[in-house]
Amino acid sequence: MPALGSMNHSPATGVPDAPGSHRVRWIVVGAIALVLALIAGVAIYLSPVLALLEPHEPSRGRVAGVPAATPPPLDSKQRINILLLGSDNDQKFRQDALLSQTMIVVSIDPSTHQVTMLSLPRDLWVDIPGHTSAKIDLAFAQGGAPLARATVEKAFKIPIHYYAWVGLNGLVRVIDRVGGVDLDVLHPVLDDNYPNDFSDSGYGTERVYLAAGPQHLDGRHALQYVRSRHGDLLSDFGRSVRQQQLLLALQQRAAGMDLITALPTFARDLNGHVKTDLDLVRLTQLALFMRNLHPADVHQTYISPYVRDAISADGQQILLADWTAVHAYLRQLFGGDLLP
Amino acid sequence: MTPRPAVLFLSAMLALAGCTSSTPVTHDPGRVVLPVKQVPVPGRLYATKSRALYRFSGTALTRLRFGSTVKDPAVTPTGDRIAVAQLQDQSSTIVVSDPNGQNRQTLTPVAAAEGSLWAFAPGFDSDGHRIVYLSDRGKRPSSPQNLQPNDLGVWSYDFATGQSRRLVQPFAYTGGDSDPSYRPGVSDQLVYTTYLYGGVPTEAVARMTWMSLRTGATVYLSPDTGRSLEPALSPDGRFVAFIRAGAGSDDLYVMPLAPTYAREPQPYPSESAVLVQSGIIAQPVWSPDGRSIAFLMLTKGSFDLFILPIATDTAVHAAGAAQAVTHGSFLDADSRLAWSP
Repeated sequence: MPALGSMNHSPATGVPDAPGSHRVRWIVVGAIALVLALIAGVAIYLSPVLALLEPHEPSRGRVAGVPAATPPPLDSKQRINILLLGSDNDQKFRQDALLSQTMIVVSIDPSTHQVTMLSLPRDLWVDIPGHTSAKIDLAFAQGGAPLARATVEKAFKIPIHYYAWVGLNGLVRVIDRVGGVDLDVLHPVLDDNYPNDFSDSGYGTERVYLAAGPQHLDGRHALQYVRSRHGDLLSDFGRSVRQQQLLLALQQRAAGMDLITALPTFARDLNGHVKTDLDLVRLTQLALFMRNLHPADVHQTYISPYVRDAISADGQQILLADWTAVHAYLRQLFGGDLLP
Repeated sequence: MTPRPAVLFLSAMLALAGCTSSTPVTHDPGRVVLPVKQVPVPGRLYATKSRALYRFSGTALTRLRFGSTVKDPAVTPTGDRIAVAQLQDQSSTIVVSDPNGQNRQTLTPVAAAEGSLWAFAPGFDSDGHRIVYLSDRGKRPSSPQNLQPNDLGVWSYDFATGQSRRLVQPFAYTGGDSDPSYRPGVSDQLVYTTYLYGGVPTEAVARMTWMSLRTGATVYLSPDTGRSLEPALSPDGRFVAFIRAGAGSDDLYVMPLAPTYAREPQPYPSESAVLVQSGIIAQPVWSPDGRSIAFLMLTKGSFDLFILPIATDTAVHAAGAAQAVTHGSFLDADSRLAWSP
């Protein structure tokens, strides 16, 4: 058995190492192990989050002639636009044939620290690239998020840099995960024919009542608040107002959470119910930006003054836009950040 | 997606740098109410949490066993009876009992020819002979193929006859009316919230409404824009506390009702004064002696019970700071409070 001291000799040179170099080697090995362990830990921690993220490919699903919006660099102060899509029941229809019940453009202006939410009415009659004219909610059913964003870009001239899709179950889970939301319900909500998406068949109805006024809502009741439209004289427009109200309440609630501990469980819950092409770094950047927002920094906007009811040639109830007025309004909102 | 470790590392560092909450929200403790022990409640104050009924009295807190989920408690002026909206799966009824939840009597039907029914927000009159409440009774039957409005109207139940009758027909597709109560001291006046749409662009409007049951005349007590809701009348009927929704806040206001209101209504009777501002406040209720107003206020993500001392000497105003009666208790802010001696 060799003496312990022989371990300190280099077999190549036979020259003994200096005592300090032995320490340095172990420090380096230890530091590398620590970094690897940290990276592994971070990877394990973030793996549920990564499962929600899709690669951002501006050309994917694009239609010829529709400009692609490239996200601004991370360190720029340029406006970022995200198309939020809320679909019909997650289980009732094929995943690739869901009508989008909600379309909201969330426009973030880092230079002014302001956020603008613009609701797009689902019955709006638009040109869908590569298809005939139709209600805007059909774009998502026909071509998923790529076609929905291309349709929005063509009609509204708003460059869409990212999208985020959430199903009904996903919305309920998001709200429950943050512990519910605090909302001022604008008027009593009564609906004897509310679609019960969570029934066995997915086609049942249930009776819904929500009292008016400030209150705390869990996911199921918050969904009822933003989804019901039978008892609202303003119908889909009223629903858009409520949807933006919910987004603001969610932002306020999440701002009070400790995301470090909540994020992995949050992401695991949402797997399959939320999709986005936001990358991890941008997602983190936006999360940090959003946490510091005050309600006064968020502006709720609608195009309802510039649309009118109409009937399509095939007998559908639709909304027709005065596009000149819409684009003039959007120029007020977004300045020179619109597409040509 | 296979992000590089560097990206992960950067993200984690960003998260560590900024994702810890600066203003943490409280988590709901479940079926528990957490009282602030040093704050005694005069009389008996009722509130609900997770649709269970709780009574605060002095420093004691009691959960009343109703055997079902309830909301909107109401009490007679003497406190000898309590009324609640008892919730079933797809309907609700008004139930009256003694103050401990015993000897229950159901006043309204679960269903009628028009379908299942809702009934909410009961309120006793001064002598306890009648109850005013909300119901969608009288609606037309509705189906997904033939949608009909089912807004809530204001109804009254007479204990002597056992009969209900509709007092206010709601505007269709507004959700209907809310927060009805008899005006104390007179037997023929109501105050409630009317829900409407108005303004350009059109938006939800809530107006406090005064109604003479003798003539059927109605007068709005608040403007035709914005939202003023949840009126609560003082025990002498001279003042109405209410919530005014502002930009990002729901503030507590109070307004005197002119003495002439007992006979002839006048529109826009007087100026209102703010009592608590820059909060999210709900469900004000006066103490039986008229010297305090209890309300729910959102604090760190939880609606908790507060009591504000009130003076009505020269003009109505707050006589001190509001004191928290509970903390982190997530009381039901969509359910009324009730307060008896």
